[in-house]
Amino acid sequence: MAPRIQNQIVSNSLLPYLSSSSTSSSFTSLSSRPRRSCRSFSSTVAPQTRLRNQMFLWLRQEAAELKHHTPGETNYLTSKAEAARGYVGDPRPFPQNIHYCSESILSEELRTEIYNRVVKQKKSVRAVSVELKVDMRRVAAVVRLVELEKRMKEQGKLLALPYARAIHEMVPTTPLRHYDPSTHEEINDLPVHRLTNPQIFYPVSESRQFNRVDAGRVFSAAPALEHEQAAKDAVDPSETISRITQNPSHIEVVGKGEDEHQVLQPADVRIPHPHMVASRREQALVPQERAQQIKIYQARLQKEEEADQERKRRSEERKEKQTQRVQPEDSRFEFRINDVVVSQETTGKDGRNARAPGRRYGVPSYDRKKGQVKIPTRVEV
Amino acid sequence: MVVRIRLSRFGNKHQPFYNIVVAQARSARDSKPLEVIGTFNPIPQRPTNLSEEQARTAKAYKEISLDRSRAKYWLGVGAQPSGSVWRLLGLAGLVQESKNVQN
Amino acid sequence: MRNRATQYLSKPKVRQSWSKWNLYNLVRFRIKNPMHRTHFQQKWDAKSASRAYHGEQVSEKQWARMFSPRIRSVVPMDHTGLARDDGSKWSAGRGQGHDDTMVDSRRWVKPMPFGQATYAPLERRLDVAVFRAMFASSARQARQFVIHGAVTVNGKKMRYPGYLLNPGDLFQVEPERVMFATGAPKDKYDRREMRVAQKQKEAAEEEEAAAEESKEEGKTKENQQEDLSPRDTLKVLLSQAKNIMSKDKDVLPAKRKQELRGFQKAVRRVLSRSESSTVLTDNLEAQFSELTLLLKAKKAENNTEKDTEKKSKPAASSTAAAEDTPEGGSKAASEADSEAQPGDKLSEAFRQAAENPEGEVDTSELTDEEFKVLRRALTQMRDNPIDHSKPYATPWRPRDYMNVFAMIPRYLEVHPKTCAAVYLRHPVVRPGSSEVPSPFSAATSELAFSWYLRRR
Repeated sequence: MAPRIQNQIVSNSLLPYLSSSSTSSSFTSLSSRPRRSCRSFSSTVAPQTRLRNQMFLWLRQEAAELKHHTPGETNYLTSKAEAARGYVGDPRPFPQNIHYCSESILSEELRTEIYNRVVKQKKSVRAVSVELKVDMRRVAAVVRLVELEKRMKEQGKLLALPYARAIHEMVPTTPLRHYDPSTHEEINDLPVHRLTNPQIFYPVSESRQFNRVDAGRVFSAAPALEHEQAAKDAVDPSETISRITQNPSHIEVVGKGEDEHQVLQPADVRIPHPHMVASRREQALVPQERAQQIKIYQARLQKEEEADQERKRRSEERKEKQTQRVQPEDSRFEFRINDVVVSQETTGKDGRNARAPGRRYGVPSYDRKKGQVKIPTRVEV
Repeated sequence: MVVRIRLSRFGNKHQPFYNIVVAQARSARDSKPLEVIGTFNPIPQRPTNLSEEQARTAKAYKEISLDRSRAKYWLGVGAQPSGSVWRLLGLAGLVQESKNVQN
Repeated sequence: MRNRATQYLSKPKVRQSWSKWNLYNLVRFRIKNPMHRTHFQQKWDAKSASRAYHGEQVSEKQWARMFSPRIRSVVPMDHTGLARDDGSKWSAGRGQGHDDTMVDSRRWVKPMPFGQATYAPLERRLDVAVFRAMFASSARQARQFVIHGAVTVNGKKMRYPGYLLNPGDLFQVEPERVMFATGAPKDKYDRREMRVAQKQKEAAEEEEAAAEESKEEGKTKENQQEDLSPRDTLKVLLSQAKNIMSKDKDVLPAKRKQELRGFQKAVRRVLSRSESSTVLTDNLEAQFSELTLLLKAKKAENNTEKDTEKKSKPAASSTAAAEDTPEGGSKAASEADSEAQPGDKLSEAFRQAAENPEGEVDTSELTDEEFKVLRRALTQMRDNPIDHSKPYATPWRPRDYMNVFAMIPRYLEVHPKTCAAVYLRHPVVRPGSSEVPSPFSAATSELAFSWYLRRR
């Protein structure tokens, strides 16, 4: 069967000479307007033709160099203007937002170096983080991701190699430099604590030294330290810091009921690498001797790590103690029996206390209610 | 009237979860019991935070939480565990593994 | 959900997208002149403009619940400064330090752009994170990937685009999807090729089922090919490799493709000749390993003929290169790509090699440079092959204007090779900078922030 050609537009575009003679005046008026060559045979009216034309003109002329990237260079909207102004620093991809910079990512070599140091040389995440100036969480993530890559290779899965190459060409990267370790990011970030938001006017006598520990206590509305205690802490500040960082559960608690919170600790304790402050303080005691400084630093790091391991081991032991594991021979499963306590204290008078074991009786369940979040909130590894 | 230690079902469709309860034998399954002495989650959980090899060999586990002293007390005063609770208590070592007398 | 993410030219709105329409709108985007607007109107404008970009797929009600007036911020601390002073110097005098130097140093701390982090809670969403990690070309596409089951979180499939990532979560997108999303689309020519390939495949299958005659035909064909001497084929191979490597990116279309295909054929021919590979493998991986082996053998011969002093150096280099991991090879290829365009270093090297009569006469005496080029061409062929069954233009190249939007924020650690990323922490504000990628000025986002404070 022959295809039917009934559509006005189709026939017009097929036989342009016919359309000019037979069709209505609207078409003739359209044809009188200057048209671009690529659309010469189409008689459909494109909406917003002027704006579209402007856009494509802009894309062809001004944005021509934005189309493809030059390997190893960023090619943002602002790149040219900033280069002309002599701007130094991370490139800003958005012309209006001066506060957002496109920060560099880890280069391939730096990533393999991190992996090698952690996995092959068995260095701790903390040590590698300080050496290469990369955040501890990032170091851990890199190890995870490289391991994932290895697993995928083993399984023979396809990797996006050309894509990865293109990304590393487009985005600024931090190279690996052995002799002058480059700073990838700030590793001692102090999170701004909620308690420090209010401005507090707190008069102190001039005879007394007011330091960060005191400020933390003022912010958390705790009574000032006893003079004896303060003097004791000030004798060996490094020791005081490590005592707190290694036993975070022993921090003093103030407030009652809902307002109960731990006393705000000074910045030396709350930064990710408190040992750096301590070792810098010790270095100040032996300013000239480089070898000894390094030795002191290594020893401190070692001590810190051992304490970390010890803490981890202890908490695991405690958890193990509470659970009994039973593996029946005829079962595919293991049974883990936890101990709970049923008493007046946990269940409360009416048996509905939140600390009582088991699901509640006589308490509505909101898990199907409108407005409740029903999608999972976390995925275990 | 007999006091029994039995399971009462909570959770949703296809997601069972049981309270281990002490209740009168003739009371409804999900009615308010004399006491809740623990829970049992029959859905096997995959162990987490494992390395590759460990994950391959690891067994899935089922969670039981139980107040042993209360369970012992109720057994001592003559509460009778149901079949499935007998098995769970057997795992915890509170009763003999196999239930000889079935009632 | 209605897709409201369309790009209008008449009312420019900036979207989370890499399209050229969005690029043009981003350049043209202006907030209305605040001189002629009331404060309410200014806030309204700021809110509507910024919401068109941030979480446009999230309903206003849902976003209003997510909004939090508390904004996470961090201050980078200097451990030297902390060690030098326990804070008592700062608080000395009238609470601003003893001398003026302290006051001055404090004055130079940049202010924190809190307003820029108004939409930080949205960055926790899985679909937004997939877009930020550059695995999708728009937030809408990222959302589709999630819904279609192409995204896993911690190894488990996660089909909810609204899943809020927790610090430490590892999410991964299927690499094929990422290549599709970020690669250049197929053109007319590619699509035709795909159809032809499919037809040929079908025809081949029919033939296989039909008879054994085809086997004999194949044999005769092979015989014809063997008329060429191994030396000539290697020479041809080299010239083709040269062609491939020296071309720049803009001239990708038909001609370049023909060259690539010719090279592929030549590779196969060489393989058919070598004694070790009796069976022709279509598998690129196998081809590659075969050829590298062959090259290595040739290289070894070459070295024995040469002088002893030269022997040590190239041998080491060749073994090192042969043992190179695939990623190393691919990087070399990329370097070759980048070098060839401006400097023409390599092509010059080829010319020299070609002029060198020894190289021409004896195949076993190919220079180091030539071997390298061959190997690079091979790795590129392997990593980025022509495959008409793919939904994107092959060999893969980034889509146009992608580089303008190419940025990876610090709160994500992205591994592009596996198309996986880790959500390290929540985005934060630092002195002078904000980690939430946003095209709007500080004034605009502060107005939007005050809109959601609900004091209007």
